[in-house]
Amino acid sequence: MSRTITIEPVTRIEGHARITLQLDDAGRVADAKFHLTQFRGFEKFCEGRPYREMPALTARTCGICPVSHLLASNKACDDLLSVAIPPTGEKLRRIMNLAQLVQSHALSFFHLSSPDLLLGWDADPVSRNIFGVMQSHPELARRGIRLRQIGQQIIETLGGKKIHPTWVVPGGVNEPLTAFKRDQMLTLLPEALEIAKETYAFYKTLVPRFQQEASHFGDLSTLFLSLVTPDGDLEHYDGVLRVTDAQGRILEDKVPPSDYQRLIGEAVEDFTYMKFPYYKPHGYPRGMYRVGPLARLNNAEACGTPFADVALAEFRMLQESGPISSSFHYHYARLVEIIFAIEMMKRLLKDPQILDHRVRARARSNQNEGIGVAEAPRGTLIHHYQIDDDGLMTWMNLIIATGHNNLAMNASIQQVAAAYVDGTKLAEGMLNRVEAVIRCYDPCLSCASHAFGQMPLSIELRDAAGRLVATQRRD
Amino acid sequence: MDGSPVVRVRRALVIGYGSPIRGDDALGPLLAERLRRDGVPAWVDVHARHILTPDLAPEIAAVELVIFIDAAEQGTPGEILCQPLEPRPGPAATLVHFLDPRELLAWTRALYGCAPRAYLVSTAGQQFAFSHAELSPPVAAAVEALIRNVRSLLDGYDHATIPGDRTSI
Repeated sequence: MSRTITIEPVTRIEGHARITLQLDDAGRVADAKFHLTQFRGFEKFCEGRPYREMPALTARTCGICPVSHLLASNKACDDLLSVAIPPTGEKLRRIMNLAQLVQSHALSFFHLSSPDLLLGWDADPVSRNIFGVMQSHPELARRGIRLRQIGQQIIETLGGKKIHPTWVVPGGVNEPLTAFKRDQMLTLLPEALEIAKETYAFYKTLVPRFQQEASHFGDLSTLFLSLVTPDGDLEHYDGVLRVTDAQGRILEDKVPPSDYQRLIGEAVEDFTYMKFPYYKPHGYPRGMYRVGPLARLNNAEACGTPFADVALAEFRMLQESGPISSSFHYHYARLVEIIFAIEMMKRLLKDPQILDHRVRARARSNQNEGIGVAEAPRGTLIHHYQIDDDGLMTWMNLIIATGHNNLAMNASIQQVAAAYVDGTKLAEGMLNRVEAVIRCYDPCLSCASHAFGQMPLSIELRDAAGRLVATQRRD
Repeated sequence: MDGSPVVRVRRALVIGYGSPIRGDDALGPLLAERLRRDGVPAWVDVHARHILTPDLAPEIAAVELVIFIDAAEQGTPGEILCQPLEPRPGPAATLVHFLDPRELLAWTRALYGCAPRAYLVSTAGQQFAFSHAELSPPVAAAVEALIRNVRSLLDGYDHATIPGDRTSI
């Protein structure tokens, strides 16, 4: 008798989700689906609002990565103004984006994923959480907090507040940096780099233990999409789009972000509110691709900073050849990116131009369509706006990092469930592995559905007739 | 603050939290901004936050009193609640992007070995629909009493006594 297992809520992710596992008569996983069960409609209710409200409004999509929306939205507005922002304004925006990446990756690694990595997927779920980590590895937990705090402090120093700063504006930023603030931020970076390097060194010692997980946690043959610099290096703020395949061949290069629609189509399915972006030339669903830290490192020729480049070289040795294919190694990639972000912030803050007072280009809207693309911590973030001649929004499309990974997340669930879930004797550790593969992507489902609130996850088990046999739910 | 032992000083922290575009959920940040604007004693820090995040733990560990301000989901809009909080690690600890204040206190104690005296000052929200920093009439009418309640807690702390835990308007 075939059955369906549903995991709801998926814990330690941002958002509200359900996983359904369809078992066959022998109790093996025949199908798996990741459902996003909330809808928010951000794109619709923004219609009719002035475009200048979009940075502040869309930043409210999420309390976790508002800076990413703030930047992508302002870049779309820059496009509407048809201005090139002053170089110092761009550098300051870059620093804020990197600080956001540090705090977000720190939360993902230290506090969302470390319970599995440090305590084990089969550990007692009562203690397999951050409090368990605080007991077993208190210094690591404190360092995670500190790294996140440093990222937040830099955002606050630049933007005036941590969660929804209004300092980034269409055309640049609204205030130049003072020497005092620059020095404040520079003071924080040595400690941040030390924490990042030590954590990276520690994690490297753990990785060999995870060979089995790496083979089953989304070890997929997919494309990879990300921004890169014009020279092909690691990029988080601007640059051009690159698509590579599972063998590392470049399929698309130097694509202006404004041409994203040539590359990306969006499909919908009736079992989830999250859309399914795909690489258009390969069609749906064959055009599955991944974004985020794993894709960025696979696509980049180099990071361009000393320690991160060493770490990137070591990252590439995780596999004998080709791009790193397992989504399990998103964790590793996040640590490399934290190192890069800290090094790059230092470089930018030491730039002689960073205190220049010219930080904003002023203009009114000069065209009716604007596209802004940046790399959020979880991947490529696209804001696309159309306005009327009065500057009111007539249409909006947001493609969120988590959405890009939707096909890959579904494929990953199927892979990990097939490897670990035995429907004839369910164990909590099996189901935790199914959840854990989702956490590799660090999804932000509030952003992806543009939904609101905390989103728990459930697992359901159904028989061949579709009857619910068992449910496991965590709030 | 690094991983070294926390040095606690005689300070207080007020954290108003909630989403400014979700109706009465804007209560916390609005009150925090109001307190800042009107002025607080030099030994008090005030934060307006969208959500409670783990990086607040070191700051909380460093003070002797923390007051959270939030709009409750249930209850009578306008009725002022002032409840003492104890650290409480719970199942929600696995969803760490958003922390309950009691859970944040539990993080603080687990990480830094101490958690300050804590209160939650709140009133139930009437509506949480999209709006920009606009409160419903009963919640707006409770703002002055909520402010008085927070100041009363701070005065009580300053004078080493804590007032009662529940009042109504």
